[in-house]
Amino acid sequence: MQHDGAAGKRPAHRSWEARVAADPGGRGRAARLAACLVGAGVAAYAWWAVALAPFSWGATAAVVLAGAAAMAVGAWERRPGRSAGGGAPAGIATWAVLTATAGAWQLAAYLQHPRADHPTISSLTNEVLDSHLARAAAFIVWIAAARALARR
Amino acid sequence: MSRDVTLVGYAVLAMAAVGLAVAARRRASGTFGDALTYAMRYRPARFAVLAGWLWLGWHLFVRVHWH
Repeated sequence: MQHDGAAGKRPAHRSWEARVAADPGGRGRAARLAACLVGAGVAAYAWWAVALAPFSWGATAAVVLAGAAAMAVGAWERRPGRSAGGGAPAGIATWAVLTATAGAWQLAAYLQHPRADHPTISSLTNEVLDSHLARAAAFIVWIAAARALARR
Repeated sequence: MSRDVTLVGYAVLAMAAVGLAVAARRRASGTFGDALTYAMRYRPARFAVLAGWLWLGWHLFVRVHWH
């Protein structure tokens, strides 16, 4: 099932980066300042959100709302015409096989115990994200990726 | 399957992904991003990817025991 053609009729929304590049004058400076303020806000939010108590409703709301907001921004910036027809890119089957293999390997590890002997991707990342700074940085990357995904 | 075998499996998959990405750029064939963009033209795939990303964030940043 494909998208309908409505996406192709929407006006083009440009990202902050594109606006800054297109207008190096006064409005560009204002856009740069706005981008810096948004970046600082996101960093502060990330620092606060990853300090919330694990398994709490507050942490769930902070993470899910931030991800949904980033996706909404990405969808708003989405270039028109991305849902138009066209053939599959060469090599897509190889990427599909690799993704499925990775998923099967992860599932095989998840279904076995103990976790120390059968680590999953998340158990490995938990070790890496043990510090507050690393968690906040990973949260920012996750938000940026959410926006980038929704722009596709 | 021991810890070492599991880790070697992840490493092999990661190296395969890097090799595939390099080969895709040299041959000008589809990158992972191209494949993802193609898949996300379809509403169910788009919903699955975005919902899966939200779940991943919840799993990594909420459902976890920090030391």
